[in-house]
Amino acid sequence: MSQQGRLHPITIAIRDIADIFGQMGFDIASGPELETEWYNFSALNVPADHPARDMQDTFWIKDHPGKVLRTHDTSVTIRELEKMAKNGETTKRMLSPGKVFRNEATDATHEAQFYQFDGFAVGPTGVVTLAHLKGTLTRFYKEFLGPNTQARFRPSFFPFVEPGIEIDVWFQPPGKEGKWLETGGAGMLHPNVLRNAGLDPEKIQGFAFGPGLERFIMVKYGVPDIRPFYSGDIRFNHAFNEKPL
Amino acid sequence: MKVSLKWLQTYFDQPLPPAEQTDDAFTFHAFEIEERKGDLLDLNVLPNRAADCLCHRGIAKELSAILNIPMKSDPLRTPVENKGLVNPYLKVEIEDEKKCLRYMGALMKDVKVGPSPDWLREALEAVGQRSINNVVDATNYVMLNIGQPLHAFDAAKLKKENDAYAIKVRDARDGETMTILSGEEYVLPKNVLLITDANADSAIGIAGVKGGKAAEINETTTDIIIESANFDGTTIRRAAQSLKLVTDASLRFQNRPSPELAAYGMRDVLALISEIAGGEVIGIVDEYPARSVQEQKVSVSLKKINNILGSDFTKAEMEGVFSRLGLPYSEKNETFEITPPFERTDLTIPEDIVEEVGRILGYDRLPAAELPISNVGRTTSYMPDQARYKGIEKVKDFLIDRGFTEISTQSFAAKGDIILANPLDKAKPALRTSLDENMKEAMERAKYVAPLVLAPGEKPKLFEIGTVFTKDEEKLEIKTSEPVSDLPAIQDDANYEPQKYQLGMYQPFSIYPFITRDIAFWSSVGTDDGFTKFIIQDNAGAILVRLDQFDRFEKEGKLSLAFRLVFQSFDRTLTDEEVNEIMQKVTAALAEKGYEVR
Repeated sequence: MSQQGRLHPITIAIRDIADIFGQMGFDIASGPELETEWYNFSALNVPADHPARDMQDTFWIKDHPGKVLRTHDTSVTIRELEKMAKNGETTKRMLSPGKVFRNEATDATHEAQFYQFDGFAVGPTGVVTLAHLKGTLTRFYKEFLGPNTQARFRPSFFPFVEPGIEIDVWFQPPGKEGKWLETGGAGMLHPNVLRNAGLDPEKIQGFAFGPGLERFIMVKYGVPDIRPFYSGDIRFNHAFNEKPL
Repeated sequence: MKVSLKWLQTYFDQPLPPAEQTDDAFTFHAFEIEERKGDLLDLNVLPNRAADCLCHRGIAKELSAILNIPMKSDPLRTPVENKGLVNPYLKVEIEDEKKCLRYMGALMKDVKVGPSPDWLREALEAVGQRSINNVVDATNYVMLNIGQPLHAFDAAKLKKENDAYAIKVRDARDGETMTILSGEEYVLPKNVLLITDANADSAIGIAGVKGGKAAEINETTTDIIIESANFDGTTIRRAAQSLKLVTDASLRFQNRPSPELAAYGMRDVLALISEIAGGEVIGIVDEYPARSVQEQKVSVSLKKINNILGSDFTKAEMEGVFSRLGLPYSEKNETFEITPPFERTDLTIPEDIVEEVGRILGYDRLPAAELPISNVGRTTSYMPDQARYKGIEKVKDFLIDRGFTEISTQSFAAKGDIILANPLDKAKPALRTSLDENMKEAMERAKYVAPLVLAPGEKPKLFEIGTVFTKDEEKLEIKTSEPVSDLPAIQDDANYEPQKYQLGMYQPFSIYPFITRDIAFWSSVGTDDGFTKFIIQDNAGAILVRLDQFDRFEKEGKLSLAFRLVFQSFDRTLTDEEVNEIMQKVTAALAEKGYEVR
């Protein structure tokens, strides 16, 4: 038998996620990791000197003021909304899985780089609501983590959404006790964000969400530490039994 | 925000509900709970509510609205009587009205500084603050109670001219220095706002951040100047950042509490000081350049609220939310006009009101709705556009088929064209310009660990597809550990279906070194490989982590078999001696079964 390679678990997870959201009509987009302050912060309703900037520890670039390593994939969301405005579109569903960066000390659950899969769905006023966010993410969690998974919403704050919520997911790994896991922020796109993209918030509305990816892989497959994900150590690939479907 | 439940209780006649109920109330309707420990509740108040909820009154108001239990009294709804605002003994001058929106100063005489009463000391200690003296404690208590930062200066340490003290709020001059209360001296950058003794032209405090040592209150103090002011959020935030001095006051000011609050802070602190330290209020001065700012009304229709939430909440339910939150409103043709109270500076657009309705009624009441299959611009036959992603996955699948294993590595590097201004790892301050360096490192390790994960005869082959950053561009690079002559370029492919996999549960691997041993022997033709493996495993024990057969041939009526054994422990480095011992045991067991070890 010829030697067979192994995909990285991140790739395998993204394929599952892309498939689930694809069935709900989501396109896939990508954008730069080295981003402008405008797309990463200001256009997303996080102006300079706003206390909300403290919520994400940011890598800045030497001799390039106004450039950052993106702290979230929401920068792709605003770029895609901008394209919508240019093309005169009123409806879009988009997922943008990709690497993001935070200037935070590394430990078993924190890495300075990790993946998020930001997504958004927009439509004419009243068509895409917070209830649809609940339905969309609940379906995703059930398909990705298993049919017994539940999702709950809590109020939270992210400047690019209003209302802003935090999503907890009830997950019970095989043979273990179930618990509520914080999975990431979401909400209805803030009118300032739509306006900054060139869309009319009186005519268009929609939701956005931005969960971290590794967390899901860790709870689903029982990985205790985030650090091996980006170690380049092939023992990590081989730590999972990989069965083609 | 650290909340003392005992303190919170002072806002209610009826006892607070049990912990579980209050926890759920905050978690699902307002703030995440960071910690609950005895009397202490630590709530994560995010920037949108930091203007009104970094204080016990704000938290009490939330709890009152969520659980629909009345507050005993609300200090912010008890009007301030504006008397005694003429004060010939204290003058205040504001240099830049954009940086200082309001400055109230009060002069008190014959105050007796001393230890705080027990209730005050206990209240402060309950939320992790240190008791200093009755005057300073009073300023801290009022801040933690209603959110207005306050400061007290020893008047005797200021210069009097024509029988009056004079305070000037102005920018620091280049190179101006000041020693703060804790004793450190700061060289102040030009953009830092100062509270100064105008008669002496000397700094007595860093506005909105920290008081100065020069006018510190101590046991001998009798006359005090109380400050209840409002400084511009950006100015204070920048000062705290540039001085690396984040304080309770700066945290509050950077979130732009209403300047109206200053009057309530002054009223409460003067009352408290009079009560616990005596003294007489000589007069109050109120410089309020931002006074004319009009209150803002927010209009939102019932339809809009339900359209955003996807709910069918009734008019009565929404009105119930407004009443419970204390938001005055009027209603006409199912459109609400809300006049937020001054402290709710976060309520400025209709969506803010939508959030209040959603969170108070509860997001659990929203249905989980499926996105419509078809709507404007979309039909049921819409194929989502995933072409670029699928094109990348196609190349990955090609390489997997060729025996390559995918790695994912750090984007940071020792050298590169793009340098981080604030690297986390000083050894890797740049962004990678290629995947070469990480590939080299990964290959070295892969070669070393190969016996653990690959069969004998397999060699490690790796690839990575990742972003690299050169001077001119950011691009996706494909790197393979050995050349692939027919490697396809990445091309959009909407029709490609990436191979999917089922992953098993994670099996942790040991970080300790491993030892490999080969064993070969003759046996009779027809010997079962599986049975042979079983004998080896049975005798090698738990530290045998991998067993591969790498040879099998028949010669002169005998069967030759060869196996590779890999030993590794999860908790220590193995020695050659102990592995030799195990090998002897394996050899002996095989010999006993009639195998002839070579």
